[in-house]
Amino acid sequence: MTDRAKFISGVTTSLGHSEVHTPSPEPATAFSDSDEDAKLKAAAALAVATDRANELIEQMAKAAENTGWQVHRVSNPEDAAELIADICRGYDATSVLRSTHGVLTDIPLDVAVRDTGVTIDVTESTDPGDTTDSSEREEAKKAAFSADVGITGVDYAIAETGTVVLHPRKGLSRLVSLAPPAHIAVLRPGEVLESLDELFAMERADFLSGTLSGSMNLISGPSKTGDIEGTIVTGIHGPLEVHLVILGNS
Amino acid sequence: MKPETKEFRSKAAQTLKNKTVLQSLEHVYTGFHEGRLKAAADTPDWEDLRTKGKAIKDHTIAHLDYYLGLLADNVEKNDGHVFFADDAAEARKHIIDLAHTREIKTVIKSKSMVSEEMALADALIEEGIEAVETDLGEYIIQLAGETPYHLIAPAIHKSRQEVAALLDDNFTVGDPIPGVDELTMLARAKLRAVFERADMSVTGVNFAVAESGSIAIVTNEGNGRMSTSVPRIHVAVMGMEKIIPSIQDLSTMLRILIRSATGQRISSYITMVNGPRKPDEEEGPDEFHLVIMNNGRDKLLADPQMRESLNCIRCGACLNACPVYRKVGGHAYGWVYPGPIGSVVSPVLTGLKDAHDLPNGSSLCGACHEVCPVKINIPRMLLELRWRAAEGKSDPAERASSMKERMLWKSWRIGMMGRRRFDFGARISRFLMRPISKHGWIKKAPPPVSGWTTTRDFPLVAAKTLKQRLAARKKSVDANRNRP
Repeated sequence: MTDRAKFISGVTTSLGHSEVHTPSPEPATAFSDSDEDAKLKAAAALAVATDRANELIEQMAKAAENTGWQVHRVSNPEDAAELIADICRGYDATSVLRSTHGVLTDIPLDVAVRDTGVTIDVTESTDPGDTTDSSEREEAKKAAFSADVGITGVDYAIAETGTVVLHPRKGLSRLVSLAPPAHIAVLRPGEVLESLDELFAMERADFLSGTLSGSMNLISGPSKTGDIEGTIVTGIHGPLEVHLVILGNS
Repeated sequence: MKPETKEFRSKAAQTLKNKTVLQSLEHVYTGFHEGRLKAAADTPDWEDLRTKGKAIKDHTIAHLDYYLGLLADNVEKNDGHVFFADDAAEARKHIIDLAHTREIKTVIKSKSMVSEEMALADALIEEGIEAVETDLGEYIIQLAGETPYHLIAPAIHKSRQEVAALLDDNFTVGDPIPGVDELTMLARAKLRAVFERADMSVTGVNFAVAESGSIAIVTNEGNGRMSTSVPRIHVAVMGMEKIIPSIQDLSTMLRILIRSATGQRISSYITMVNGPRKPDEEEGPDEFHLVIMNNGRDKLLADPQMRESLNCIRCGACLNACPVYRKVGGHAYGWVYPGPIGSVVSPVLTGLKDAHDLPNGSSLCGACHEVCPVKINIPRMLLELRWRAAEGKSDPAERASSMKERMLWKSWRIGMMGRRRFDFGARISRFLMRPISKHGWIKKAPPPVSGWTTTRDFPLVAAKTLKQRLAARKKSVDANRNRP
C-alpha cells in the first residue's frame, strides 16, 4: 500500500467505517451551490457589478477607507495620471513599477510619471517567450524590491470589505503590490462586486470551466501587525501606505 | 515539540507572580476579545454564519477520508506534490530531505502551529539551513528561544523593552525604550534582506479546498504573500482536519475566522494558492508541496466524545475569552496549543496522565463555548477528560487520581448512600471539626483536606441538620395552628 492509501485507510478506520463513504448527493457542494447555480451566480454577480456600478463604488470607497486605503476620486484619465504622478513625487520616488492592467495604459500615466523625472517600468519581461528563466525572475525580484511605488489596476474590488482582488499573471507580478513601500491601485466603476460570496462564486465558476488562475490575492489596506504590546503598526512586510484611485463617476 | 503539560501548576504559579506578563495579557481581552464582540454585533447574520461554519466542519470531518483523497488528487492535478505524514517526525524528515535535495540555503517560515508540532525551524537550523520565522511575533520569540504564547499573537507576553533588547543589538537596559513603530521598522529592515535571499518557504494553511486543491492563507503582515512570491519552493503544512469541501465555503469560513481572531471584518491579506507558478509568470514558486499531517489527530477522530475538537479553525477566540488563560498565560499549558482548546487537544494528543491538570484548569464558565466560531462545546469535553482522569474507566493508563483521593471519594460515596450513615456522618463531622474551627469557619485543616483550606475557608457543619430543623419548624407551625 502507498503511504497515501495507508494514511487514508487509517482515517477510515478511525471514523469507524470499513470503506470510504462518499457524501451524497453533491459531494463537494454540500454547503454551497450546485455547479449550475454557481455559474448562474457568477454571471449574476457580474451583471450586478455593472447595473449597480455607481452604488457599489460608493460602498467600496467607504469600506476601503475603513480598512486603511487612502481613497482618491478623479473624473478623467488626465487627472488620474497627474494625481498618481503627484503621489509618486510625494514619496520622492526614483523608481516606479506598474502592471499591464488596461486602465494604466488608458490613462497617460507613463508620460506623467516620467515628467517627474522618475523611471517607470512594467512588470512584464520584454522577452516575448511564454516561459521565464531564472535570471529573468531574479531581475524581476530585484526590480520589485528596489521600486519605491507599485501601481496596479484591480481585477475586482469587494464593496463588503474594501478589498482589492488581484490574480497574479504575466504582466501582473506577485510583488508589484507587495514589495514597494507604497501601492497605488486604480479602480473603475463596474469592477466592484458586492461581497465575498460573489467573488468566491466567480472563482468557483472559473474552476468549473477550467480557467481558475494560479493564485489570488485579496488586499484590504496596508500591511499591519499588532505583535508588539498589541499596538497596531502599519507596514511590516508589505506596503506602509496604500492608495485607491477611483476613476470616473465622482 | 516535547510536551511539558505536567508542569501546568508550577508554570501557572510563575505567571501569576509576573506583573509585566499579567499586564501584557490584558491586551488579548481589550484588543481581541472586545474587538470580536463588536465585530459579531456588527454582523447581522452572525449566528447563522456560526451555524453554517459548524455544519461545514462537521460534514467534512465525518467524511474526512473522502475529502483527503479528493484534496490530494486535485493538488496533484494542479502540478503540486502531496505528502502524507503519520507524525511530526515523518513530516519534519520529509521537509528536511526536500531542502537538502533542492540545495536550499534559506527557509522563510510563516506562522504555522502545525510546524510548531514539528519544531521545524530548530530542526532545519540543526541541519545547517538558515530558517527564519517571518511573522513578527514568531520572529521575536525565535530570537528569545521561546515557544508561542498565543495562537495568533505569539509574543503578546513580551514588553517593548524585552523586544528592543532582542531586536536591537545596540540596545542595553537603561537606554530609552524605542517606540513600537521604531521597533517594527527595525524588524522590517532585518526581515526584508531575508525575504530577498530565501529559496524555500514553509507556510501554514488556514483552509484547504478539496474540490480544487487550493489553499488559503490569511495574514495581516504580508509574510504569507512573500512566502508565495519570492522563494522557488513553497511547502505548505497542514493538520489533516483543515479541509473544507468547496471554494464557495471560503466566504463563510473566512468571515467567522477573521472576526473571531482579531475582530477585523477582513485581514489585510488573503492568499489563495492553486499550485505552482504558471510558466509565463515572472515570480512565484516553481514547486508547490502540501504536507498533510496526522500526529495523533486520528485519536480525536476515533473518539466520539472528542471528535468535535477537530472542527477548530485556530482563531484563538477561546483563549482571549478565558479567565484562566488570561491569568496563567500561554506557556503554562506546556504544548503547542494553549488555552481552552489546548486543554482539550493536548491531553488526547500527548497523553492525559501527564496533562490531567489542563482540563482541571478551568472554571467551566462556558465563555469558550460561547465565542467559538464553530460552536465547539469545550466545557463538555473538559468534563469528559476530568472524568477519564479521575476514574480511568475508558483507559486505566489515563487514570491520574491518587489512591488517597479515590479512597476519600469512595468513603464519601458510602456515607452519602445510606440514611443512617449520613445522619451519623453529619453528627460526627461537627464533633470532629469543632476543635479546629473558629467563628463557624475552618481556616486551616489537617491533611487529607488541607489542600482545600490553603485557598479557601471551609464552613463548620451546622449544629442542627436540615431534617432536625424541619421537624422543629413543623412542630412550631402545628403549635400555632392548634392555638384557640
